[in-house]
Amino acid sequence: MIGCYDFCGHYEWTFAWLERAGGPELLRDYWREAIALDSQRHAAELIQREGIEGMKKYWGHTLVEESPSLGFTITAAVDRFRIDMHDCPSKGFLVRNGLEQHRDYCDHCMGWVGPMMRDAGYVVDHEHNHRGQCWWEYRAPSAPPAAAAAGANDVRARPEWLAADAKLDRYEGATSPDEKRS
Amino acid sequence: MSSSTALPYTDTKPQGSADFYFATNATFRFLLRRLGAEGWRSYLEQLGRGYFAPVNRQWREGGLGAVARYWREFFAAEPGAVVDVEERPDRVEVHVRECPAIKHLRAAAREIVPEYCQHCYWLGCARAGEAGLTMRLHGGNGACRHTFARAGAALPPQVRQDIVEVRS
Repeated sequence: MIGCYDFCGHYEWTFAWLERAGGPELLRDYWREAIALDSQRHAAELIQREGIEGMKKYWGHTLVEESPSLGFTITAAVDRFRIDMHDCPSKGFLVRNGLEQHRDYCDHCMGWVGPMMRDAGYVVDHEHNHRGQCWWEYRAPSAPPAAAAAGANDVRARPEWLAADAKLDRYEGATSPDEKRS
Repeated sequence: MSSSTALPYTDTKPQGSADFYFATNATFRFLLRRLGAEGWRSYLEQLGRGYFAPVNRQWREGGLGAVARYWREFFAAEPGAVVDVEERPDRVEVHVRECPAIKHLRAAAREIVPEYCQHCYWLGCARAGEAGLTMRLHGGNGACRHTFARAGAALPPQVRQDIVEVRS
């Protein structure tokens, strides 16, 4: 049986398998069709219906369940919703267990969240450092990008954010993993 | 792999998040739609031989005792599982009284892939084969029996009808 305890491990393995089987297009389709529109359809429905209030409800629940040690902070404003991930439970699982089949596991979040936000009328500003740390802002396309709304919670203030082996991937006003700026 | 656990990959939490079963179900639906039954089967077999290689090696070296220990620890980490693991001289029988995945998907009113339970067979066969064992599956739709046996156990052939389709 495929379990949920080590989900992140076989999920990451699956990314590499899909890319071998059908190229990057099949993997993009998987994140959008299987994850955004099927697995996480409860998130899509909530955010389309309630906007930023829906984001608070969805991530307030799911991040606490996945990261009981609260390795993240959430900051909501009238025009945007922000997550600062200080210790990603998903990437952390892979790092601790030495699992790396796919070239950039972190892209999966933009792979499903990006299309979901597009459908709900939002765009995404995001950076990840491939070390289990990232930040996200979801905003209307007309709102200014990446306000410093997180204050003291801003993950970019951590000394390890730009550690010697950290490589930043950045998205601005994006809704697809193809819009990455490395 | 740590000797303190039979699980190849460990987390800081004692159990996983059941909502991840949504993604497994959706992954199966996607693969069946895009690659067909043979593509899905190939995915499961490669997953069984590749991702699960550390467990297969543990089973090959540790025999049925290692198989029994793995399944006990595996289901202890799956929320909502009700499972008995029975170790016999020539086989291990995993009696799944309440499948945690089917239970959670059903409670959330998710449309479950009818072929869902077949994944345990294709995955289990690939893993057992790597360990020099034979696997059979009987039941499904929320309750089933997995058998992992030595080659000499002479299990009857797997009959496809023994694997029940899932009703959402």
